[in-house]
Amino acid sequence: MSGFYVLDVPEFLPLLEAARRHALCQVHPVRAGYSYVAFAEPIELLRAATGLQPAVWFGCLTAGLDAKITAFTADALCLTPTNEPII
Amino acid sequence: METLTLNGVDHTARPTWKLAETMRFYRDILGLKLVHAVTAKGWGRADEAHADFIHFFFDSGNGSAIAFFYYIGTQQPEALKVPRGYMAMANHTAWRVTSEAELLAWQHRLESQGVKVSQFITHEIIESIYFRDPNGYPLEITRSLRDMVALDAVDAEHTMAAALALEATGKWTGIEQLWRTKAARIRAAQDAA
Repeated sequence: MSGFYVLDVPEFLPLLEAARRHALCQVHPVRAGYSYVAFAEPIELLRAATGLQPAVWFGCLTAGLDAKITAFTADALCLTPTNEPII
Repeated sequence: METLTLNGVDHTARPTWKLAETMRFYRDILGLKLVHAVTAKGWGRADEAHADFIHFFFDSGNGSAIAFFYYIGTQQPEALKVPRGYMAMANHTAWRVTSEAELLAWQHRLESQGVKVSQFITHEIIESIYFRDPNGYPLEITRSLRDMVALDAVDAEHTMAAALALEATGKWTGIEQLWRTKAARIRAAQDAA
C-alpha cells in the first residue's frame, strides 16, 4: 500500500479533508497520533483544494511518505507508488 | 543525571560597527528601552589587543534583552559581515507578540519608518514577519498559532531519528528520503500501539 502519514494537529487537518474528498485516496483513522492517507495508483493533490499556505504546503508530507514524489510545486503535489530504495 | 533547567532568554548579543544607526533602529524605530550599558578598557586582555568597547542592552520584553558590542576604533572583519541569502537568515532572533493585531501593528510601524518588511508568513504553529536591522542582522516578530502539545515532541523525535540515520549514511540528498525513512518509524509506532 502506498500513502502518506498526517500528524493529528490542526494545521494539517485541511490536508486530511482534501484527501477525504479525493476519489483515489482512502483516509485511515488516527493511530499513535497519525492518520494514513492510502492510495493504490498515482495521485495529484492540489494546494487550492487544501487551502494550505505555501510554507505549510511544502512540509505537508513531514509525517512520513510511502510513495515517490513526481512533482511538487506551489500548486500541485503528485505521488506515485514506488519500490525504489530510499538511498 | 541531575535535571537542570533554563528559564528563557536573558540576552543575545552581536557586534556592531554602526553605533548611531543601531541606536536609532532599536531605540527609536522599534521603541525598545535602552536598559544597560557596560564600558570597559579592553577587559584587560592586552595579549589579544582587545579593543575598548561599549556593551549595551535593549529590553526586548519578558525579562530578555538584545545586546550589542561596539569595539571602539576597529574595522569590521570580513568574517563578521552578515552574508546575504537564505542560509544566513537562519541565524536570527525572533520576538514574540500575542495577537495578529500586534503583528500587523509592528509591520506598519516598521514600514512607516522605511524598514523593508516581509508579508505575514504562516508556518505550522507560528505566523511571522521578517526584516533586517541596519547591521544586516535578520530579525523576526512572530505570534503563536497554537500551543505545542506532547504529540509535537513525539513527531520531532521521529523526524530527528530519521535525519540522524540518513546523515550517517553519507548519501542523504533530499527531504523525500527523510519522509520515506520516517514513514517506516511511524508504521512501527502504529503497529506497536
